[in-house]
Amino acid sequence: MNLAGLTSVCALTLLVMCPELVSAQEQPVNRDGKILGTGGVSSISGAGGGGLIPWATLSSYADEGQRGGSVFRTRVDVDAYQLDIDGGALAFGNRIEFSFARQNLLVKPANLHVRQNKTGIKVRVLGDIIFDKAPQITLGAERGSLRDKGLARAVGAQHTSGTDYTVSFAKAWLNGIGHRTTLVNVNVRYGNANQFGLLGYGGDDQDAKWTAEFAAAVFLTRQLVLGAEYRQKPDNLGALREENAHDLFLAYFPNKRVSLTAAWVDLGEIAGARNQQGVYLSAQLTF
Amino acid sequence: MKQSFGHLMLFIKNTFLSIGLVTFLSSCASNSQQSLYDEIGGQAVLETLVDNFIMEIASDNRVLPRFLDSNVNRFREKMIEHMCLLADGPCIYTGDDMVQVHAGMNINSAEFNAIVEDLMSAMDKTGIALSSQNQILERMAPLRPQVIGI
Repeated sequence: MNLAGLTSVCALTLLVMCPELVSAQEQPVNRDGKILGTGGVSSISGAGGGGLIPWATLSSYADEGQRGGSVFRTRVDVDAYQLDIDGGALAFGNRIEFSFARQNLLVKPANLHVRQNKTGIKVRVLGDIIFDKAPQITLGAERGSLRDKGLARAVGAQHTSGTDYTVSFAKAWLNGIGHRTTLVNVNVRYGNANQFGLLGYGGDDQDAKWTAEFAAAVFLTRQLVLGAEYRQKPDNLGALREENAHDLFLAYFPNKRVSLTAAWVDLGEIAGARNQQGVYLSAQLTF
Repeated sequence: MKQSFGHLMLFIKNTFLSIGLVTFLSSCASNSQQSLYDEIGGQAVLETLVDNFIMEIASDNRVLPRFLDSNVNRFREKMIEHMCLLADGPCIYTGDDMVQVHAGMNINSAEFNAIVEDLMSAMDKTGIALSSQNQILERMAPLRPQVIGI
């Protein structure tokens, strides 16, 4: 590299930048402060995740002193059900996230719709997912409220709305498995949502329970992430069996505005329909 | 016909030789004796990397203002030494320590990440393999507390 040329290019760039620099006293970085992919994608409740589960990541690329947000659309299509979700999240300073989602479940055999609204809040209490030795830790709450209450009442749920509380831990290793950046996330959840709340909250077996959720992901490239998730579900309804869910996903981050996720999901038995497996597709825009 | 057969044999022989060479090279790459410095291609590649890094910074409005008072030649020289040292290369770092360099600048997390992204782009442009990139980043990451918020 020609040093003289390099220096003059730098000098020229500085000269062009100069008028702005003299007037602008605030920090020159005002958005998109986080590294590509580290805002994650949108989970089914609207909270930053993750797909079937939220993660200890905050939606969007807002870092300290910045604001950001995301909107998404997701479809989960398994044998007897189709779940469509729209939602979004706002994040402030990589510290606090507010999320919202509208879920619309189609029970295919009965051509019946069950709609639910989800609102969430998540606060990062400690740590940086990449740069600290300790994990990044968030506290979250997800409130669900059914708009169509008939099915929940019919299957014996105690309530048609409820709140789950989560503690999430996430840690990424820049040089992880196979020299690829690797992430592990663990959630502990306390709540009584039957099938994500779509079958109501609580049942005759037991009310709120502690459950565990796990995710692991590997950045195959800086833009392409391969991972898997596992979600324990509470199984509160006496008449119906509820099984744990898991997925295998591929997420693509072409830039900081868009992410696309495709997954294979296994939701287990849902309201008597066994072995519910299928496809999960999600598109997210970030601002 | 005979000539084509000869060509075919030559092709097969060359193919086997290439496979042998690739196997030999990959066994080299997995040899734990080889330093990261050698793995990325030594001094020449490091110099190209730092030149590309400077170009990335020069076109990045998010962080360029921070380099207004920097001497580009000195930055280049010390950066090459520092990265060489981090990669276990045969170098001595003669620059200031990271705290001295960044004290009083109050650099925030977003600016630090912007520099990380510039370095990632520079490594891509230099043709450094992702596995080596991640090893370099892993070695640089612990410096963060000596750079931000001071």
